[in-house]
Amino acid sequence: MEPISHEGLGRLLKLDSNLQTPHIVFSQTELSESGNLETGGTIKIGKVFDLPPSPLGLDSDKPPYLQLSKDIAVIDNAYSLQPKKLVEIASSFRTEAGFSRLLYAPAVEPSQMPILAYLGVDIFDDLNVELRSSTGWALESGEWIKNNGKIDDLFAHNREELNRWILRIRNALLNGKLRELVEVTSLHNPRVSQILYHSTQLLIDKGAKVKSNIRSNDLSLNHPAIVDFQDRLSDYEPPAKNMVLLILPCSARKPYFKSSSHKRFFNALREVENYLALHVVSVTSPLGLVPRELEFCYPAAHYDIAVTGKWSASEIEMLRNQLIKLNPKEHYAKAIVHAGSSSKIMTNLIKELGIEVVDTRVEKPSSYEGLEILQNVARMTLTGIPLLNTKDRAHGEARGLAKFQYGEMSDFLIKSEISGRMPYKLRCGDFAAMSPVVGGFGLTLNGAIAYASQGGPIVVAEDFKLIGDLFAVGVKSYKGNWNIGDQVVIKQNDEVTAVGIAKMVPEEMISMNRGVAVEVRHHV
Amino acid sequence: MSEAFVPLTDFVNESKSIPRDHPLDKPVAKWTEDEVLNGEIVEAGVVILRTRGCYWSIKEGCSMCGYFNDTVPGGVSDDMLREQWKRVRPILKGKKYAKIYTSGSFIDPTEVPFDFANEVMSDLSDMGVEKVLIESLPEFVNPKNFNYDKAPKLEIAIGLESSNPVVLDKSVNKRLRWPHFVKVCKLARDNGAEVKAYILLKPPYLSEKESIDDAVKSAIDAAPHVDKISINPVNVQKNTVVEKLWFRNEWVAPWLWSVVEVLKKCEDLPVRVYSDPTGGGTRRGAHNCHDCNKKILQALNNHRLGLGDLKGLHCNCKSRWDVLVRQSNLRRNGSEPHGYRSGFSGSRHF
Repeated sequence: MEPISHEGLGRLLKLDSNLQTPHIVFSQTELSESGNLETGGTIKIGKVFDLPPSPLGLDSDKPPYLQLSKDIAVIDNAYSLQPKKLVEIASSFRTEAGFSRLLYAPAVEPSQMPILAYLGVDIFDDLNVELRSSTGWALESGEWIKNNGKIDDLFAHNREELNRWILRIRNALLNGKLRELVEVTSLHNPRVSQILYHSTQLLIDKGAKVKSNIRSNDLSLNHPAIVDFQDRLSDYEPPAKNMVLLILPCSARKPYFKSSSHKRFFNALREVENYLALHVVSVTSPLGLVPRELEFCYPAAHYDIAVTGKWSASEIEMLRNQLIKLNPKEHYAKAIVHAGSSSKIMTNLIKELGIEVVDTRVEKPSSYEGLEILQNVARMTLTGIPLLNTKDRAHGEARGLAKFQYGEMSDFLIKSEISGRMPYKLRCGDFAAMSPVVGGFGLTLNGAIAYASQGGPIVVAEDFKLIGDLFAVGVKSYKGNWNIGDQVVIKQNDEVTAVGIAKMVPEEMISMNRGVAVEVRHHV
Repeated sequence: MSEAFVPLTDFVNESKSIPRDHPLDKPVAKWTEDEVLNGEIVEAGVVILRTRGCYWSIKEGCSMCGYFNDTVPGGVSDDMLREQWKRVRPILKGKKYAKIYTSGSFIDPTEVPFDFANEVMSDLSDMGVEKVLIESLPEFVNPKNFNYDKAPKLEIAIGLESSNPVVLDKSVNKRLRWPHFVKVCKLARDNGAEVKAYILLKPPYLSEKESIDDAVKSAIDAAPHVDKISINPVNVQKNTVVEKLWFRNEWVAPWLWSVVEVLKKCEDLPVRVYSDPTGGGTRRGAHNCHDCNKKILQALNNHRLGLGDLKGLHCNCKSRWDVLVRQSNLRRNGSEPHGYRSGFSGSRHF
């Protein structure tokens, strides 16, 4: 088997027989029953595999949660387990099943297949679809519709529809849109939305970071990438002390600094003396607050939301929390709010935290009049603020970004010789440079050596001349931990020979024989 | 012994709760019902005495049995037992058939003292009762435990549950050995008692089809050794493993069609095989769709009393049962989607 694509904990595998997961087995032809209670029958997925025996006498509330045969792991009761429990079990799917066993969830409703695939289930069956077909219901896009046609047709129709449904799940997984399909199925399905709600932390901790565009809505407040971004804002520090916080609205174009409105803001502000002491933070939903330096970081440049101009109570609460993480009282001298529809809300929230704030009260922030007012307010507010020079500012920007991206392992970047300036030319010596692909600082080969010595994750590969991507078959061992989408260092013969982006999780690299393990960015 | 023993034992124990306080001088229940005695329909008096309860349920217990809920863990004194007996006598007066149940084994001398049992039996005899049914685990079926001075004809009901050791072990958690069961049946019959066997239909973890096959096989196995067989569809009793599985939707009570199917397949056996489903027609007992529960239960009752057969029963839900049974060995447990029996018609009934 060969992993082709990941999203969350889900995986699209190409199996030997040219089948792909997530996969449906049809009970009439591909499942066979066992002769007695102590064996498990067989399942046909290209080849015929033995199933583990059913969990006689076991308590589904206690580990081990999966039943294992040589090639198949079964999560019995996936359709009925408590949502919280299911997520807890999902967190140990791969520890129990390993990566080379296919994970089979029997008798699942079609509407639950996307979320289960998102949590790592590979194989489903048509048992429940067959039952429901016998009662005269037709399957349509994972939903049941009462149909009074001929029953004979209905079985065939529903099997076909189920095939289309699984194809849709597979396509979504391939295109990084599985989350969207899961959100769609969760809309009017309390069970799916509960599972989705509880799985956020698990997806942050272990999920693959596919950098696909987040077309967001209210549900996306719990998108793992968004919650992760929000949490890590508390690690972030502005470029310098005693700057003036400038709250601007977000823009449709990402990253924001490339949008026409933000270009106009910049052009207006650069005429103000000491404008470098202004720190631009954009206010947006569902991310909350995005400081200028983090605009490249996923998902700040990878989302889209229906703009309504209305802020819901949950969004305001979220903004409040994000503002507290930014800690304005400590980091800024004053604040200016120039954010259109959210101005009032932001002004009040900043006031709550006890720093001096000016609201420009402009309805159209990027209009000519609006810009003029912004310019005047900035000029007034900046009087008495200590001068900030380009070099210090760049240094501060690099430090903020490095800390946000690399956390405790960012020392080597902060201490390096920082040059250039945001957005594109910022560099940390010969360790790292801005990369929109990585979403922030991308490591160079020298950076990889330093990163590895600070405890960064390492993939140890077999000894051969690395010319392109590293494939799973060439991986010998690993050190440290990472999620799909993180940067990893490749070592061969105890020498760092490359750095790239992980395409599999650690154990998966070891157990797979096919597929890209690391997308290499730089090699010797 | 198999490894799965330990988890199921823990599961049974964790599911239990301490029985609440009960008045010691009152029986659990008493009622009358129709029964067949020597080919005739008679009214039988049924009483359940409150006792310390089944020794096995105190030690471990069976996965489907919630009768410990009616017991008194500290035990019931002889005086209180006699008090209870006084209260149930009126209902037994003038009856030819009596059923004396406890939530355990009537002939376990540590549960029901022999002297008290002896008094009860001679009292029944004096009242003109011709036959008395009691229940017991096989381990107490020893002539010394039912060697009464004077007693009606004795019928001992033994919970065989299944003749398959895997089912007994991993699904029911009952330590019954088939050779031992055969031995005690002979012992009882040699000593003038009749034997009635209880066979479970759909114990936990088993699917509909597996359980039908298991019940039929068990009935065929047991038939030569017993005088009648009662098929007991598993019902959901409080604080049991079955209840937990049912709450989690990992198991549902069997269909009445399955009961009918088992009885049909046992028609040719040389002994009477019948069923009187506890809680029949409710969600916690064997049931079909809301339209036919009453009809089928009535047919089962007629069949039990020899007033009719099980032919010609029909309902729309029968075809659903067919589909489920056909695929149920692939389903890996005894569950089915909510509302399936009524065709997902969305009514308030189940």
